[in-house]
Amino acid sequence: MSDEEHQFESKADAGASKTYPQQAGTIRKGGHIVIKNRACKVVEVSTSKTGKHGHAKCHFVAIDIFNGKKLEDIVPSSHNCDVPHVSRTDYQLIDISEDGFVSLLTENGNTKDDLKLPTDDALLTQIKDGFAEGKDLVVSVMSAMGEEQICALKDIGPKCYSINATRAVSFKENLQQL
Amino acid sequence: MNGGHVNSELGQLQATMQAIEIACSSIQINVNPTAAEATILSLCKSPRPYQTCQFIIENSQSANARFQAATAIRDAAIREWSFLSPDEKKSLISFCLSYVMKHASSPEGYVLSKISTVAAQLLKRGWLEFTAAERDAFFSEINLAIIGNHGLDVQFIGINFLESLVSEFSPSTSTALGLPREFHEQCRKSLEHDYLKNFYSWAVEAAQVVTNQIMNSDAAVSEDRVCATALRFMLQVLNWDFSNSGRVVKNSLDVYSFVAKEDSNSAYTLVQLGPSWRDVLITSGHIGWLLGLYGVLREKFSGKGYWIDCPLAVSARKLIVQLCSLTGTIFPSDAGDSQGKHLLRLLSGIIHWIHPPDVIAKTIESGRSESEMLDGCRGLLSISAVTNPVSFDDLLKHLQPFGTLSLLSSLMCEVIKDLMTKDLEEEPWSWVARDILLDTWTTLLTETNTSGMASLLPPEGINAAANLFALIVQSELKAASASEEKEEYFQASVAAMDERLSSYALIARAAINITIPFLTGLFSERFSRLHQGNGISDPTTTMEELYSLLLITGHVLADEGEGETPLIPLAIESRFPEYVETEKHPVVVLSWSIIKFAEQSLDPNMRTSFFSPRLMEAIIWFLARWSSTYLMTVGEMQSYRNSIDEVTLLQMQQSRKALLSFSAEYTQGKNLLDIIVRISLTTLISYAGEKDLQALTCYQLLGGLVRRKSICTHLVTLDSWRDLAHGFTNNRVLLSLNATHQRSLAQTLVLSASGIKNSVEANQYIRDLTSYMTAYLKDISSKKDIKSISQQPDVILVVTCLLERLRGASSASEPRTQKAIYEMGFSVLQPILKLLEVYKHESAVVYLLLKVVVDWVEGQIIYLEPHETALVIEFCMHLLQLYSSHNIGKISVSISSSLQSEANAEKYRDLRALLQLLQKLCTKDMVDVSSAASEDQQTSISQVIYVGVHIVSPLITMEMLKYPKLCYDHFALLSHMLEVYPEMIPKLNHEAFSHISGTLDYGLHHQDEEIVGMCLRSLRALAFYHYTEREGGRDGLGPHATSYKDAAGNFQDGVLSKFLRSLLQLILFEDYSMDLVGAAADALFPLILCDHGLYQRLCNELIERQPNPVLKTRMAGALHSLTTSGDVSPSADRSNMRKFRKNLNQFLVDVRGFLRII
Repeated sequence: MSDEEHQFESKADAGASKTYPQQAGTIRKGGHIVIKNRACKVVEVSTSKTGKHGHAKCHFVAIDIFNGKKLEDIVPSSHNCDVPHVSRTDYQLIDISEDGFVSLLTENGNTKDDLKLPTDDALLTQIKDGFAEGKDLVVSVMSAMGEEQICALKDIGPKCYSINATRAVSFKENLQQL
Repeated sequence: MNGGHVNSELGQLQATMQAIEIACSSIQINVNPTAAEATILSLCKSPRPYQTCQFIIENSQSANARFQAATAIRDAAIREWSFLSPDEKKSLISFCLSYVMKHASSPEGYVLSKISTVAAQLLKRGWLEFTAAERDAFFSEINLAIIGNHGLDVQFIGINFLESLVSEFSPSTSTALGLPREFHEQCRKSLEHDYLKNFYSWAVEAAQVVTNQIMNSDAAVSEDRVCATALRFMLQVLNWDFSNSGRVVKNSLDVYSFVAKEDSNSAYTLVQLGPSWRDVLITSGHIGWLLGLYGVLREKFSGKGYWIDCPLAVSARKLIVQLCSLTGTIFPSDAGDSQGKHLLRLLSGIIHWIHPPDVIAKTIESGRSESEMLDGCRGLLSISAVTNPVSFDDLLKHLQPFGTLSLLSSLMCEVIKDLMTKDLEEEPWSWVARDILLDTWTTLLTETNTSGMASLLPPEGINAAANLFALIVQSELKAASASEEKEEYFQASVAAMDERLSSYALIARAAINITIPFLTGLFSERFSRLHQGNGISDPTTTMEELYSLLLITGHVLADEGEGETPLIPLAIESRFPEYVETEKHPVVVLSWSIIKFAEQSLDPNMRTSFFSPRLMEAIIWFLARWSSTYLMTVGEMQSYRNSIDEVTLLQMQQSRKALLSFSAEYTQGKNLLDIIVRISLTTLISYAGEKDLQALTCYQLLGGLVRRKSICTHLVTLDSWRDLAHGFTNNRVLLSLNATHQRSLAQTLVLSASGIKNSVEANQYIRDLTSYMTAYLKDISSKKDIKSISQQPDVILVVTCLLERLRGASSASEPRTQKAIYEMGFSVLQPILKLLEVYKHESAVVYLLLKVVVDWVEGQIIYLEPHETALVIEFCMHLLQLYSSHNIGKISVSISSSLQSEANAEKYRDLRALLQLLQKLCTKDMVDVSSAASEDQQTSISQVIYVGVHIVSPLITMEMLKYPKLCYDHFALLSHMLEVYPEMIPKLNHEAFSHISGTLDYGLHHQDEEIVGMCLRSLRALAFYHYTEREGGRDGLGPHATSYKDAAGNFQDGVLSKFLRSLLQLILFEDYSMDLVGAAADALFPLILCDHGLYQRLCNELIERQPNPVLKTRMAGALHSLTTSGDVSPSADRSNMRKFRKNLNQFLVDVRGFLRII
């Protein structure tokens, strides 16, 4: 049973590893870690020792990036931990369907229709209102260890300041000259 | 008719009394408390309730009702004071006083003390109106009461009244009266000058009257209450903040805070009274009486009436201890002779509390209270603060065959012996005593107390110190070996014990010629124990003992440099004159034995069996401390303020030379350096994941080595150093070092290039060190699948490591190696932009990228040639642009609130980095060492800042300014920008400008002094620019400064007028540091010049607001001289600014006293 499950997972990931080993001592606050098979973000690291003259251990407090639950773990700092491969992709929002799914435009022009609207109220209203007003919205989708979730939203309206384009071009030219 | 009127009045009084009584009792049993409170409040608020209140106080059976009536008298009288006739005022006070005298024996003490306080407050309220005769009328009553004419209870009440009075007059304990600060200050001065000493004498008299009864009776007598109160009052007077004891002049301006007595953080306060107190305290036999009283009391402790902690005994001891710290002009200037006698007298009393130490300790162990012994220790501490070691030691020799130092030492020995048997978590008495006695040693032995060689102890004292140190070490070792293995041992950092250890080190250095060989012996014992037990017994105990010994020895041998090169401790330089051969010098023997031991950690077998991470931490810490003081040290001996004979001086110099030649450049120095580097390399490679150890290695040890150029010269020639550099570039193990350690290591390696004489070689060395990093980053950023692979954790790890290393290398920029570091940074500019794009969601990497640029720009900008500057600036603009486009309008939401606040904190760090980047770019205009010939080639920095501010300011919200560091950076940039490039302000668009003025308004009321200062500088710059432009007939701030109608049609002042208002409000009425007055003046002056009409209106408003004609005239006068005195003319040039600054200072002195209401 477990073997089967494992095979199934690795097939779904098509070669990309879901987690990587990394020495516990190098994982910093703000980094990612796998605890109890969940992808988490570390919010606190402290070091302690096993006995006065023993070796250092890292104590991690981390938050599940998908459900917000707090998890903890203690690992000898010279041992390896699993670090999840967390990726975030931006998509343009093209539609919100009535059953709560969104339709997103991928980079190569296809659509991605398997994501639900986020459960978070603030983000949800922003998306719905913005979409209703006809704004151009870009959503960020975070994925790790086979899970996906919309985590951020950006209005790509005209708000950002632009320095004049010639400056940027001339800079690149200068670089090439050197 | 008339009788009926009286009756009805009486009836009304009784009705009110009943109402109040009911209210008081219902509050007590908590029935309908709000209604009850309202009833009581209505009494306080009713006009002229005095008759009613007096009636209640005299007739009510309920103590609470009397209490409330007293409160009501106080509230009403303070409120209606100016409407009361002089007789009414006096009669209220006498009513209170005579009531408490009459009812002195009443059991409800709290009512009496309340009424007594009311009398004190009213007396203070009328203090300046009453004539001296009127005041004296009150006080002669009090005096009669105190000297005991009306019995003990009245005596007690009298002293009690003085206590309330003095605490009302003392600024730190006074009650608010709704009067100007000036009033309180005048009262304080008057009391101190005319009354305080008399009060003290009265208390002494009162206590002396009852002394005989106390001494002659075996049981407790009621006199002791009077006596204890009198003693407490004397202590209160001695704690008064006398104005001659160094109150600074600045205080007259600073009406908000009272500078605490100097040394308020130490355990003792010096009591500095003027010569006028001499007769009361010194020549009157006061002390003899006090000691006699306590001496008699002590004999009675075994009886029934008194015990060691009874109030009388406690007050007496406190007073005795306080008298020990008497110093200054109260003693005649006779070279300390009379002060010595004074101290001797006190010591002759105190000695019984602490001598003989072993007996005292034993009796405490068998159940006697420790408080007397602790007070004895405090007495020693106070004495140590007013003497030097020699006179301290001599004191006791007049009484005993040994000196005070010997007593101090044996006392502390007993304390430490006791401490060894106790569990520290229970905070045993010996723990408190140890801290007090350690303070005493530190006070005696620190240099500032005495001068130079005078801190030498007398020979007996040296032995005493040596004995004590031996016992201290023994106790530390015992503690080390006894501490059990705990399952989860949270590591206490090396620094945590620092303070205690440096006190120990002071004691050790006092007897250095004995303690160094002693330490050497202890080390060699433990080394051999470790080897003998090899593999058989558990070495943990020995390892822990070594750990403690290393820390202690490190403190004894060397001082903490705090970033500078520490000197060799004076004691070590001067106290080994007989050792002129290097190998025999005790310090050399000790150091060499420790270094040889440390070297054994290079052997893998030894390492695994003995060198635990914790022991290595102590070793690295020791090596760092030792090498910064001794390794390849040159330089002269510290000069002596005291003259010594030439022969001794010569011997000292020779012995110092012998000591230094152990680790000098031309002898073994290089060898020792090599050992140290190899040990460091081992801790970095063989102790994976031991962050604390590696932090010590990177920051303390290696960081300290490269700080010294003489050492760098040798470092770069060592094979071991080359191994380290090679390992850094090629060994994957070093990639797993903690990120900040990577940075520090890169910085260290780059800095060592300063030791390479040839600058071409130095640059090549850095290129070799950094080329692999830049190559990797270039390579990865140009990969086609960068987007997908960049998010793999292993790639992120390598990228962050390399970026940290780039940061480290960038921050090591030095003129000679600038070229190589410029090339390093330049080659990754394009990759950085690419990485910023692909990692836009990975906040940790984004931050690092920004910081790399900040550090690189900071190190490089001043050296850059014009075309390089242009490139760098354009790159930075591009970076800002890119960052802004990623973040503006972005909303991220997280389910977890802690993740959300993390995200906010990350954003704040990014913004800080961006602000820093702009700031660093600004420095180009300040310092520029490039070879640029003509000005016109230069890129305009103001243009860059202008664009930068437009990009960054929308990202900074008021919410973000609550982060102190971001706030600081924001205002630092703002004030710099406004001061240096005011011409860009009018060009800013409305949004950006109102953002700036909004944040300035916020910053002006910030708590941080520095931030307010920067805002004031910004304001000055704004106003000054506007004013000078206008003078020149130009537009100045243009539309920003003119008034306008807002959307609601309301008339709004221009921005400068707004600031004029808020600045005046700030300097007159709000709380701020007095150091800001200068900056405020600089801002205020041009603001006044910009809108003189508004200023006139504000002035008139201010004058009108004053409550009475006297203050109106004072205000008007002060305002007038603010703008006219000292020939200030209305033009904002330098000399006028200076004059105005002076005027403002004077103005504030004049008016803040009555504007500020307490």
